[in-house]
Amino acid sequence: MRVRSTYLTIFFALISSNIYSQSSLDFLRSTGKIYAVAVGIVIIFLFIVFYLVRLDRKLSKLENESSNE
Amino acid sequence: MNLKKHWYKIAAVLILLYVLVAGLLVPLKPGIYSTDPPILRSYSVNKIAIEGYNTNYAQADGNVEVWLKLDSIQGIKAENVTVIDDNHLEATFPIGYSFPEDRPTGTLLVHSAKDGTAVLPNRKLINSTDSKGQSLIGRSTPIVALPDIFFTKPGWQFPFRPFLHETIRNTFFHVAIWMAMFFLATVSLVYSLLELRNHNYLTDIKAASFTSITILYGLIGIATGSLWAKTAWGVFWTADIKLNMATVAILIYLAYLILRSAIQDQDQRARVSAAYNVFAYVAMIPLIFVIPRLPDTDSLHPGNGGNPALGGEDLDNALRYVFYPSIIGLILLGIWISNLRIRVESLLNKER
Repeated sequence: MRVRSTYLTIFFALISSNIYSQSSLDFLRSTGKIYAVAVGIVIIFLFIVFYLVRLDRKLSKLENESSNE
Repeated sequence: MNLKKHWYKIAAVLILLYVLVAGLLVPLKPGIYSTDPPILRSYSVNKIAIEGYNTNYAQADGNVEVWLKLDSIQGIKAENVTVIDDNHLEATFPIGYSFPEDRPTGTLLVHSAKDGTAVLPNRKLINSTDSKGQSLIGRSTPIVALPDIFFTKPGWQFPFRPFLHETIRNTFFHVAIWMAMFFLATVSLVYSLLELRNHNYLTDIKAASFTSITILYGLIGIATGSLWAKTAWGVFWTADIKLNMATVAILIYLAYLILRSAIQDQDQRARVSAAYNVFAYVAMIPLIFVIPRLPDTDSLHPGNGGNPALGGEDLDNALRYVFYPSIIGLILLGIWISNLRIRVESLLNKER
């Protein structure tokens, strides 16, 4: 689950560089890019969730097979 | 889909989705980003350039007041406030007298009808002895009682903290992960104690699995803390007692994994690693909670070494609405991942 820290890295890289270069405005929000960041992170999170669900289903199938043998 | 079996997984996903969306999109309270210069001198015309954050000064129809708060009852009102744009102001404080001796700093306060009140503390007050300012005596703004007009802009918004700014959102990730980690460490402790009592193979697998997730969360906690440190303190790592103690605690837990792989016999491995897990947990408590908070320790980390703890203004009620669900969501996610590991181990063991 290092992927979670990967998107956190991306997020903070975006945020931290902007805090120091753009001193006045909430830059990401003012250009509407914060919504892109939020959607991007939600998409990455959903990928992780789908991967977990897939693993879960595979495991359930294997368990059923082994208990039916 | 057996809902009774999978309810916590759905809950984890929904809660974490809410945390991600709310945590990233809820705006910050209007605040003061900087004042230039950050000092005020006696006997001089102090022209301060103020930069606001999330502010709408230009839309307040001139209803912008700037005050220098000396304490909770009195302050000095700026004589002239020029609104340059939504985020920039210029305030003039002509001071023709000396500041009170017992007050080395004041708080700059900006109040606008549209944004409410914002403060920036620790503006240095310097008593200069420049003779040129003598002309201001009798022609300057006096110290008066603070008016009762200050209010906070309504709505759901996160607190604006100096230096932190937007990174306060990291509370929902960095701090929440550590809280979830402590909970999962407790769960693994319970399973280890059960294992020592009952010597059940399944209990041993559960203890090992939860301990692995504890370590994972701890490493993510350190990584997110390091990133946050880069933005807040300027460095990825520092010789700070909280950081060092947390690293030691995680290293002790990592030794648990090495211990498990070193012992071949299943029974022995279960017993020894369960005993070690108890030690690791009992060692973690003073390392992370007690030692960094001892008096006379110096720490950058909030809550330790003389700093105010997580609470007060750092954990606003507005943050709590996302912070507590984040902890719960991360705990449930950790339980889900741990559950998958347990089932894999059981399956592998069955086949042998």
